[in-house]
Amino acid sequence: ENESMSDSLSDDCVSQEEDVMTPAELISKLEEAWLNEKFSPELLENRSEVVECVMEQLTHMESNLQRVKKGDAKASVHRMEIDRIRFVLSSYLRSRLQKIEKFFPHVLEKEKSRAEGQPSLLSPEEFAFAKEYYANTETYLKAVALKRMPPNLQAVDLLKAVPEPCLDSFVFLQVKERQENIFVEPETDDQREYVVDLEEGSQHLMRYRTIAPLVYSGAVQLI
Amino acid sequence: MTSLSTPRCFWLVRFAARETAMDPSEVEFLAEKQLVKIIPNFSLDKIYLIGGDLGPFNPGLPVEVPVWLALNLKQRQKCRIIPPDWMDVEKLEEMRELERKEDAFTPVPSPHYMELTKLLLNHASDNIPKADEIRTLVKDIWDTRIAKLRLSADSFISQQEAHAQLDNLTLMEINTVREFLLDSLNCMYKLRSNLQPGSRKGQLTDY
Amino acid sequence: MDTQSYCPVPPGVGMEENFLSLDDILLSHERLPVRTECVFPRLGFLEKSSDTQDIPEATKMELPLWLSKGLYERKRKVLSVELPKVYREGWRTVFTADPNVVDLHKMGPYYYGLGSQMLHFDSPENPDIAQALLQTFIGRFRRTMDSSQNAYNEDTSALVERLDSLEKVLFRSGQNGLNSFQSWEKGQASQLTASSLVLNYRKRKLADVQT
Repeated sequence: ENESMSDSLSDDCVSQEEDVMTPAELISKLEEAWLNEKFSPELLENRSEVVECVMEQLTHMESNLQRVKKGDAKASVHRMEIDRIRFVLSSYLRSRLQKIEKFFPHVLEKEKSRAEGQPSLLSPEEFAFAKEYYANTETYLKAVALKRMPPNLQAVDLLKAVPEPCLDSFVFLQVKERQENIFVEPETDDQREYVVDLEEGSQHLMRYRTIAPLVYSGAVQLI
Repeated sequence: MTSLSTPRCFWLVRFAARETAMDPSEVEFLAEKQLVKIIPNFSLDKIYLIGGDLGPFNPGLPVEVPVWLALNLKQRQKCRIIPPDWMDVEKLEEMRELERKEDAFTPVPSPHYMELTKLLLNHASDNIPKADEIRTLVKDIWDTRIAKLRLSADSFISQQEAHAQLDNLTLMEINTVREFLLDSLNCMYKLRSNLQPGSRKGQLTDY
Repeated sequence: MDTQSYCPVPPGVGMEENFLSLDDILLSHERLPVRTECVFPRLGFLEKSSDTQDIPEATKMELPLWLSKGLYERKRKVLSVELPKVYREGWRTVFTADPNVVDLHKMGPYYYGLGSQMLHFDSPENPDIAQALLQTFIGRFRRTMDSSQNAYNEDTSALVERLDSLEKVLFRSGQNGLNSFQSWEKGQASQLTASSLVLNYRKRKLADVQT
């Protein structure tokens, strides 16, 4: 009976590029998303599909475990694995919330200017969180200081007041799919621009701006 | 002219509480996914974990499991851990000599050599011959590599490089200098954008 | 990063970790030597050495950075700002010779920050100042890094005392990396300890008792 504890993924949890994703592949997708989110200077696109599938796997496994007798040797191993996956999942979601708190006006602005059909930066829950955070911040600033200012100084443009993510930050990355002719901008006037090839498995230190599209596409992993 | 955005958002102070930080224990967490051979003293059918299948387990028969499970079984005295091939005094001595001789970073035996050494030596030292010597050797290799890392960080800064390839560095090594190096590079970037009024980087605005 | 120049946002609006940043506020209060280029009517009370109602043209006085920056206009000269001596040519030469000998805390402590802000005021020396700031930073990098990495369990106060406030922040980043690694290595990561603030407070209290 225990053997049915982890099934292959349900139909909703089929990745877009491949036909079927195994649970193991799903977990590595979550770990990739976790590290990328931790190390990218900006908020990345939400991976709700991964989060939902992982949640589904965990719920499924937990309900199976409820039927297992106490002291079952396998069950304790399953529980340990569940704890580990849960840790990554919550750390991933937490780092996204931290970034939303840090960049909320810009995150909301980006969401507003998103063209129809373009994937959303935020999950519906995150979007609600960001809007509430914005409103609370404004209310708080008004209550604590702004209402005591002269009328012409009472407005605060949060878009200007809150720093934007610095896309020129350097990041460490590992290449998963070989890339040719990645443009490296010169740092000083007497340097010239040049291109590098990123070999599979190699590791690099360079500006996030240059390789951000490769993070989106999954060709490189931030480390 | 100012290269800086609003004065209240001045860049000098934007360092604390960054979510780009990773704790060493999180790097260790990743290392715990590495596989290690154990010899169990119990029998158990295959376990179908979300992350893949494990087992079956038969007394006396070596089987590969992730480090997190190996350590748990070991703590419950349910297995003996077979140390990885490289966790061997002779091999590590060779690596140490090579690491000291070469200017560049030499290939590491495992992308998590530091974490695995700590985990296995702390929890299964009775299964690892010459555990103390191994601890010292790995620490020597680590120290040599970190000294090199500082040297290359300095040259990266002083040459104002835009790109570096760091193939043999491990995540734990990167992690110890990450915050400092990235913060320094950001500061340097801001100072350099002072030099380029009106460019995309420098944010000069004429009233 | 937007392309705004000076934009009078009320203080303390940066919403994240720099919300009410003390360094930022202190930097904006650094005093600059200025010379008025027109009469400042009814502001005489700002100038303590005189008892006139207005500040006359060509008065030399000191104003904080935030005020100088707000009043400064390139086209219509209201005031001119003099370069603090640490950014003048004489000192720039000293920095070029050996940036490590300079006590940037004493000369600053916002050497880089204030220097970058000085570029707001039009001066033919601006490119040289910007270059000096960058080269000083690069020249001192190795020492800041090495001390932050080797300093564990050693008394670093003498060295840290000579760092500019920006370098001090970096020094702390470096120490964080080292300390968190070392406590992981020793297996202390999971142990709870009193925060350093509490410890310092106890020490200070003890010192108070002894004096």
